[in-house]
Amino acid sequence: MPVIPDVTAPTLQTTLGRLTLPNPIMVASGTFGYAREMQSIVDLNRLGGILPKTITAEPRIGNAPWRTVETSAGLLNAIGLDNDGVDAFIEHHLPYLTSLTAPIVVSVAGRTVEDFTELAARVGACPGVAAIELNLSCPNVSGGVDFGTNAESCRSVVASARNATSVPILAKLTPNVTSIADIARGAADGGADAVCLTNTVLGIAVDWRKRRAILGNGMGGLSGPAIKPIALRCVHQVRRAVEIPIIGIGGIASLDDVMQFLVTGASAVQIGTANYYDPTLSMRLIDQLPAALGELGAGSVAEIVGTLE
Amino acid sequence: MATLHAKHYADAISHLDAPLLLNEQVAENTYLMRVRAPAIAATAKPGQFVMIRLAGLDAPLIGRAFAIYDVHPDPESNAADSVDLIYLRKGALTRPLSEAPVGTMVSLWGPLGNAFRDDPCERLIMAVGGIGQTPMLMAGRDALQRGWADHVEMIYGARRSSLLAGVSDFRDAGFAVTTCTDDGSEGRQALVPDVLAERIQTLQQESPDAKIRVLTCGPEIMMEKVAEVGAAQGVDVQVSMETPMACGIGICFSCVAKVIQEDGEWDYKRTCVDGPIFDAEQLCWG
Ligand SMILES: Cc1cc2nc3c(=O)[nH]c(=O)nc-3n(C[C@H](O)[C@H](O)[C@H](O)COP(=O)(O)OP(=O)(O)OC[C@H]3O[C@@H](n4cnc5c(N)ncnc54)[C@H](O)[C@@H]3O)c2cc1C
Ligand SMILES: Cc1cc2nc3c(=O)[nH]c(=O)nc-3n(C[C@H](O)[C@H](O)[C@H](O)COP(=O)(O)O)c2cc1C
Ligand code: FES
Repeated sequence: MPVIPDVTAPTLQTTLGRLTLPNPIMVASGTFGYAREMQSIVDLNRLGGILPKTITAEPRIGNAPWRTVETSAGLLNAIGLDNDGVDAFIEHHLPYLTSLTAPIVVSVAGRTVEDFTELAARVGACPGVAAIELNLSCPNVSGGVDFGTNAESCRSVVASARNATSVPILAKLTPNVTSIADIARGAADGGADAVCLTNTVLGIAVDWRKRRAILGNGMGGLSGPAIKPIALRCVHQVRRAVEIPIIGIGGIASLDDVMQFLVTGASAVQIGTANYYDPTLSMRLIDQLPAALGELGAGSVAEIVGTLE
Repeated sequence: MATLHAKHYADAISHLDAPLLLNEQVAENTYLMRVRAPAIAATAKPGQFVMIRLAGLDAPLIGRAFAIYDVHPDPESNAADSVDLIYLRKGALTRPLSEAPVGTMVSLWGPLGNAFRDDPCERLIMAVGGIGQTPMLMAGRDALQRGWADHVEMIYGARRSSLLAGVSDFRDAGFAVTTCTDDGSEGRQALVPDVLAERIQTLQQESPDAKIRVLTCGPEIMMEKVAEVGAAQGVDVQVSMETPMACGIGICFSCVAKVIQEDGEWDYKRTCVDGPIFDAEQLCWG
């Protein structure tokens, strides 16, 4: 029997620890610039959350081109955290971002616990920042400790950042590990308000005629529809391992994808690569979500989160 | 200090699914497509581009950039209506596109990027090669119509005659076109930068005070040589860069080129928002 949708629209508000979002459709770091680029085609104020591109303490020039290459149902990238550093971000981008009503979640990355802690303190002290996402998973930044691949390092960096600021802390993890559940437990033990699953999957694309990797950096991170089953699997495993909320990321390109992540255990999602090839997707998803919740007879997002049998 | 803060934020982009009104071969391996996209046609400036995909298909996944070749009004209402693009049949997008019947839906967003600067001059010379002629119809016509150039010339190079596309459009628009081909099958058997250097020299001898400006688009190696010619002969060159893009809007940081900053150091800048048009002396080639 088809379920008759409730006449009252379901509430889209969703809560992740200390962070409350107007709806679960966020845009992922590194896939939405500094938001301003999108102002004329996306109503930024309708988004559930905006994550500007990851910032580091010092400016980073990023990797040499090519920085992205299309692969089957996906995109391989090695941007190399090209950014102007925290000072330029606070001066040039944050005033615009915080003038929006959508929650602003600032993504930060560092090489040491101290880097992450100082960035969290700096950014957390800026008015209007809703939360901080620790990018513990960027595959393109070599040389630093890889906090996303060791549960104890993950716990300690999250705990230290958490102590440095009163704003909620989200831990964004890499799928390139043996046990994502173990790493997520580390993040939860460190006091993360939520875990974000996942960043890109390590890969390589080769030009056999030139016998060379296509990306300037050699290896890169795979994103897009190709990685959705992997990200969904990570959500599934972590949902069973920790109590803290999950934000699902990876290959989301349609409302079906969003619903799959919510039912599997994500309380919110981030749209990444799809922003590049379908730049108004986030708006359509927000429009379509109430009907899909209604189809399941749910009055809120929370009612369906993690209801996978 | 380096800064990624773009000077230019697109304020009039539209994203729409639109039908192909025309999709026909215009030269060897070269096609012209016309798309009904009134919002884009209404605001497109010379030098801007659009991103295109086949609507509803995930292969290829990522959009491709195409310079806006021309815009047309609706014949009845006279309001801006459609956009023309000229493309070379090459790979994952343009092969299936070249076989798509009229009425096929494409997804496109634009107009994107900055535009050619309309600095006044007596002579505007457009030095183009390969498929780099595509942004020049709008640029040269704008120069003549709005009067920022007294004369518009084009030096257009291709490997062979059959690959030249749009020459009659350029002549109809009032540009003096010199063609050159690698095999001598049409026009001069010479390279675009060499023909340009000769032409500038002639013009400078005829009227030393006349202001000459150059616009260039085409293979990077050709544009680099054109930039060298401009520098050697004291002529400003604007370059239309075509770096590999994934979004065209400034949100992915794929499309960077080395651009010299105020402090004299280069920084990677996004071609899709800080360009695609750059002053030649701003660019760090190679
Ligand atoms: C601003 C801009 C304007 C453009 N305008 C036009 C235009 O007016 N007409 C036109 O025909 N094309 C234009 N292009 C190129 C176009 O975007 C596509 O790259 C081209 O059509 C090939 O796409 P495809 O899917 O058919 O081939 P693909 O399967 O994508 O590629 C075929 C081959 O080309 C290589 N390639 C792809 N993109 C680039 C690049 N940017 N630089 C160097 N190599 C590359 C690939 O690695 C591959 O080897 C423009 C590009 C840019 C960035
Ligand atoms: C070009 C590109 C750049 C990215 N940059 C960042 C970044 O700066 N910080 C970050 O946390 N994630 C970054 N990501 C990862 C995305 O935020 C996202 O986790 C990943 O792409 C998977 O989601 P998707 O398949 O929907 O794209 C980037 C992804 C791409 C494709
Ligand atoms: S193509 Fe994405 S930033 Fe330029």
